[in-house]
Amino acid sequence: MEVLNPSSALLSNYEVLTLLRELESDHINRTRIALRVKKEEEAAGGTSSIVPGAKHPAMVETSENLRTIQAIQYLSAPHQPTSMQTPESITKLTKALAKYDLTKAEKLQIINLAPTQPVELYVIIEELEDRLGESMNEILTLVGSSLSESPLASQTPPDTLALPTSRVKANEFDDDDPLHYPDMDADGDIDMEEHFDDTGEGAGIEGDLDVEED
Amino acid sequence: MYQLAILKETTAIHPANFGVPPEQAIIAELNKKYANRVLHGLGLCVCVFDLTEVGEGKVRYGDGCLWYKVIFRLVVFRPFVSEVILGKVKSSDEESIRLSLGFFDDIYIPAIYLPQPSTFDPNERAHFWLPESDLTKPHELLDTPTAERMYIDTGEILRVRVESDEFYDDEPGPPKALEGVQVEREARRAPYSIICSIAEQGLGPTAWWKGEPVPEGDEMMVGDTEEG
Repeated sequence: MEVLNPSSALLSNYEVLTLLRELESDHINRTRIALRVKKEEEAAGGTSSIVPGAKHPAMVETSENLRTIQAIQYLSAPHQPTSMQTPESITKLTKALAKYDLTKAEKLQIINLAPTQPVELYVIIEELEDRLGESMNEILTLVGSSLSESPLASQTPPDTLALPTSRVKANEFDDDDPLHYPDMDADGDIDMEEHFDDTGEGAGIEGDLDVEED
Repeated sequence: MYQLAILKETTAIHPANFGVPPEQAIIAELNKKYANRVLHGLGLCVCVFDLTEVGEGKVRYGDGCLWYKVIFRLVVFRPFVSEVILGKVKSSDEESIRLSLGFFDDIYIPAIYLPQPSTFDPNERAHFWLPESDLTKPHELLDTPTAERMYIDTGEILRVRVESDEFYDDEPGPPKALEGVQVEREARRAPYSIICSIAEQGLGPTAWWKGEPVPEGDEMMVGDTEEG
């Protein structure tokens, strides 16, 4: 192994989330196909050349350590703005931010954290008042307009109701239940994949040994 | 938070995977090796982003594998210094607050990076901050009425600034003995840990700053302190 360039580019949270979701749905699709192929072969009378319980030759195994990366939960948690962002809105915001004198890192953090209040922007940008002055509010408006309306948007009201909602949000994050990626379990994909894991482990080993003697 | 690193690697594809298109097999092989692993000086690897360059697969004497020389891009978790990130409080003790991101737990806020004056409350097992207070000694702070304290409870979402990060490569070894007595070995350090700060306006629990252009909001504290 050789590291050619430790940091060739910075990635926004949204990009990483999209990539991980793609990998996840790839994996789910693959297990679903594997399951179907297996069932069809069993129905055909088990005359196939494929070792029962072994992997299909046209399948590639997804390694377990990739599946243990739980970044999807973190990146799609309710306190992250990713659920309100789309690729188009991010591109638009980046272009709109270009006219201000911001560094790359500051722009990246504006995308990642989507500040909607002055105090959040103060944290991200150094010497905010000297550098930007009046345009600070313009940036906040730009960020606000880039976030699409969604049920979550109503959870960050500007004032009075802030306290009770914030408690609710913290509790939701505590639960660690699969609610953090609604796309995935909407159609029961998760069940499917667990089912496959079970059959794979239980029935696999004996079958393997049988065939090796041939 | 996330970066792309370019790496070069020679990887072997087992004959069992020859039925798969080579790029898929190579990505799977690289993910098996790198995903969820800390590379020294680089950060926590998440997954392969894409393959930049793949040489021709070669069979070596001695095994049936196809060996590919690959240059690829890897998604790495490595927040840069001064970056602001969100995390959840995992636990607190006298010296520090430990944060978790779900996939990464070695994020610490040492007591010196808490807003001052603040101290650790052993009853609540949490640190608290007393805004606009002249007290400095821990025992004085612990005598104050609980209603004025702003606690940082376990499970709260914190906005923190990265101050520094550290990599350790501790080698496991046989137990050492000194004059016949086994020497207590230091506890294994995490290979990659991040030190953060919340001693700044706008940092700390996100609930502190909701709808509050000016810090020290009195009405916020009522909800933040619960009597056990």
